[in-house]
Amino acid sequence: MSMEKIDFSKVNFLVVDPNRLMGSMIRDVLVTLDAHHIDRARTMDSAIAIIRQNRTDVLITEWDLQAEHTGMDLVYWIRNDPASSNRMLPVIMMTANSEEEYVVRARDAGVNEFVAKPYTVQSFYSRLATAIARPRQFVRVDGYFGPDRRRRRDSNYAGPERRADPDDNGRR
Amino acid sequence: MAKRPTFIPPPQELKRKAVNFKRGFSLQLEPEVVQKLEQVVEKATDNFTVEVAEKLKQLRVALGEIGGGAEAKRYMREIRSTSLEIKGMGAMFKFPLLTAFAKSLNDFVQGMDDPTDIQLDIIAAQIDALYVVMANRIQGGGGKTESQLLDALAVAARKYKD
Repeated sequence: MSMEKIDFSKVNFLVVDPNRLMGSMIRDVLVTLDAHHIDRARTMDSAIAIIRQNRTDVLITEWDLQAEHTGMDLVYWIRNDPASSNRMLPVIMMTANSEEEYVVRARDAGVNEFVAKPYTVQSFYSRLATAIARPRQFVRVDGYFGPDRRRRRDSNYAGPERRADPDDNGRR
Repeated sequence: MAKRPTFIPPPQELKRKAVNFKRGFSLQLEPEVVQKLEQVVEKATDNFTVEVAEKLKQLRVALGEIGGGAEAKRYMREIRSTSLEIKGMGAMFKFPLLTAFAKSLNDFVQGMDDPTDIQLDIIAAQIDALYVVMANRIQGGGGKTESQLLDALAVAARKYKD
């Protein structure tokens, strides 16, 4: 059994949520975990301004920012915009859009971890711990830059290598 | 022809900075830590009821303002967004029935920009149901009546969605 521990006091968080209650609750959970550095933003523009200061280690963002831009736009900017200063920033996406379609869209945008609201503190912690302690390799392939979407590798797999298939960039 | 993928090793800076064997929280949380985190959520329950009351008011106002045309689109977007927020909050604070009614409303208004009178009536009924849950502080899944109401709203929503 792993005895690894996460020292959250060393981690700089950015929480983006226009809902003050939900944003405050995430902050309070992080503070209970001994996090000391928590920036907050309510919009994509203010989030980008903070990310550009190069101190953010983990982004936790709501999908629906109740404005022109969504949390998905923010993820797209981080992963693909030439002005993005940390294209491999770990991103945890939170949303009440918990249906599979949204999970797939988030994954294909380059989100590291997906938290469906309403969530339990344990499930939130589990995603947070995974994002910090189990970073995945990144992949650049036609139309996608982000964490490897294949979480499990089968060493006995003998089928075709679909990543070389021009019709399949993991969008199936 | 499609390019072969390029693999980039996982970034290690954050892991190096935060993961160790001495200080902090285990990857599998101890029960006492879970309890502490759950207390954080419990403490926010009072704020939750105030927040939801405000959101319900916003829903009623938005519904009352829908008159058709471009404005209707704006208020319907507000109803979608607000019902999604309530859906995401309810069960976290032991109000899963609130989440269920909010989901019902949110599902119903997806893609709906210019609702008919019947559709507006169904939206109003769904907002009323949310009010009932909060007014009576119905935690858990509610009883038989609430379950029947949820089913009835689902039937109406299916019938008049398009």
